[in-house]
Amino acid sequence: MNFDLDQDQLDAAAGARRFFTDQASPAAARAALEEGPVQPGRQALADIGFLGITVAESTGGGGGALLDLAVVAEQAGAVLAGPSLVTAARAAVLLAEEPELAAALADGSRAFCVVDGSSPALDAVGADTFLALVDGDLVVGGGTVVTGQPMDATRGLGVVTLTDPRVLVPDAAALWARARDVALVVLAAEDLGTAGRAVEVGVAYAKERHAFGRAIGSYQAVKHSLVDAWVGVEQLRSLVWWSAWAADRAPDELPLAAAAAKAFAAETLERAAETCIQVHGGTGFTWEHDAHLYWRRAKVDRLLLGDAAEHHDVVAGLVLAGALS
Amino acid sequence: MDFDDTPDEAAYRARVRDLLAEHAADLVHLDAGEEAGDAAEQEQALRRTQRVLADAGLVGVAWAAEHGGQAGSLAQQAIVGQELARARVPALINHIGLGMCGPTVVAHGTPAQHERYLARLLRADDVWCQLFSEPASGSDLAALRTTAVRDGEDWVVNGQKVWTTLAHVADFGILLTRTDPGKPKHAGLTMFVVDMHAPGVTVRPLRQMGGQSDFNEVFFDDVRILDSERLGEPGEGWRVALTTLLNERVAVGGGGNDLGLSVESLARLAAAKLPGLTPERRVLARQAVGRAAVAALGNRYTGYRRLTAISQGGLPGPEASAGKLAGTAASRLVSDAGVRLLGDDAVFAVGTGDDGTGEDGAGRWQRNQAWLPGIAIAGGTDEVLRNIIGERVLGLPPEPREDKHRPFDAGSRA
Repeated sequence: MNFDLDQDQLDAAAGARRFFTDQASPAAARAALEEGPVQPGRQALADIGFLGITVAESTGGGGGALLDLAVVAEQAGAVLAGPSLVTAARAAVLLAEEPELAAALADGSRAFCVVDGSSPALDAVGADTFLALVDGDLVVGGGTVVTGQPMDATRGLGVVTLTDPRVLVPDAAALWARARDVALVVLAAEDLGTAGRAVEVGVAYAKERHAFGRAIGSYQAVKHSLVDAWVGVEQLRSLVWWSAWAADRAPDELPLAAAAAKAFAAETLERAAETCIQVHGGTGFTWEHDAHLYWRRAKVDRLLLGDAAEHHDVVAGLVLAGALS
Repeated sequence: MDFDDTPDEAAYRARVRDLLAEHAADLVHLDAGEEAGDAAEQEQALRRTQRVLADAGLVGVAWAAEHGGQAGSLAQQAIVGQELARARVPALINHIGLGMCGPTVVAHGTPAQHERYLARLLRADDVWCQLFSEPASGSDLAALRTTAVRDGEDWVVNGQKVWTTLAHVADFGILLTRTDPGKPKHAGLTMFVVDMHAPGVTVRPLRQMGGQSDFNEVFFDDVRILDSERLGEPGEGWRVALTTLLNERVAVGGGGNDLGLSVESLARLAAAKLPGLTPERRVLARQAVGRAAVAALGNRYTGYRRLTAISQGGLPGPEASAGKLAGTAASRLVSDAGVRLLGDDAVFAVGTGDDGTGEDGAGRWQRNQAWLPGIAIAGGTDEVLRNIIGERVLGLPPEPREDKHRPFDAGSRA
């Protein structure tokens, strides 16, 4: 047994951290709320190869494992980058047998969006090619996108109506389910990055800010809140790595692991973001401070692709079906 | 990253399974539905079980050969633990000796002490306990008041310990005492090995809120301990105790093992009980089962990460405290889910009490509930562990500790 990242993955994380820190930031997420562009943007992500990490090498991708993508997604989440690598990972699964479309995903020449029924779809803003499950078949086509007031503009949410859909893969329910599980893993990985950063920001402030003659981080009321958030992040990291590993190496475990990771991510990020605001006091809920940007991400992500209650029910069902025996 | 056994690990696991099968007739096995046997009742059988396992090379797997161990890896140690659980062999009776006292004797004992104690500890010829907490010093351990006063070749000990697990069956204990009250509280402590059968040692079992008696009060009245039974230098007791505490946090939950009832037990209970619930209660119970399973899995895999780090040469650091915190939280969720599934049976178990009859063992879930408040206190309270993580992992400023540098007899005890 060896439950740790290898050196290549650690190097990839460090490289991704440099890229995302240069290209995206909470400041960019704030600007996007006032109709600025989402950073780093689809083409920049394609150019550095991140959209194609799990796309086959024969079609211009990296041919990597989902764990390789999850490691990068954590770094994207830490700076609230967009578009989401969730869409890239999910589309890569759906397009595994479609070389031309997979190549277009990897090089950014097409902008994909994956649509779940009538729910607002992730990365719909600016998308030109839509994938959906209709009557059990995987379809692809154009679409019209209605945007509203985004809680988190970096998520590119929109309600999509498909135009001219054509069947890409008939009887694709199993393929669709696997792609959705993969999406859950990558969403949890992005949330891991966001939650981890929210805790870091809270800890740094708790060391600086003084009240009643002491740094506020010395008070148990503040210290223990931050510790609980941090412990949650460490547990989430384990679930993200396990679920990504399962996607690659133990597909039977993926449904359980992916649902567990998503459910835990939703609650962990929410707690981390709310703790970050609470520790900052009045400053924490001003527009100028970054805390609300992590909080916005938390409030959106907890509902994307099913909330914690839905995934707890999935886990319970799998446990009953003998997934743990 | 790979969760599968390496070829070496797979071969080792097969060998362990063979050994357990070969000795099956000589080992205690838990009955179906009974997961937490009473150590006192089964003392002799449990001692015999540990001796059989030790002779088969399955105890002290990661201990050095010079101390009677197998010089194996922590991964091998974990494999033995998994296979013992799979074979439904209960926790070794000397788990405190193996997890905490033994490593402390190894780190701070003399060669003569190693010779005298370690091999017998591994075979449960001697059972050990850890005499740290006192009525007025639980979390604030360094405020303890039990004294040891030098008298020729001996030290004379007076005072009281409490909440001492296994003291009622123990042959030896590691005993933390105050030897220099004129020094600040951490500087005036000294550690000894104490013979639990020595004149002046009185053990009185305490009954826990779940009804069982796993721990005790221990009184010391002019108990004489030879200076050669000292562990470390006089005044160095705190440093010695830190070795014990560090090992304790790894032993208790730090490896991702379930505290209390396992998530697999919950899964079996859920499969049996969910179909019979009303639709409304079923929704709530499923939520509770799902949430508990997620927490338990998160804790299990975090334990695997810690095990990986340690087996790659890392030392168990303050991060291990996070494992105990998360393990306690997961255990509460597992217990809560079990109780929701049982409903009325969880508060009024009929015919499923201490005899543990019935696969669902409602009485077992009752006792488990009553044990959980203890988990959140023993081996470091949740609050103290949060301080440790906050200060040593996150680097937050420390709690004010006004008595830290003051002589103990000049007000520390106020």
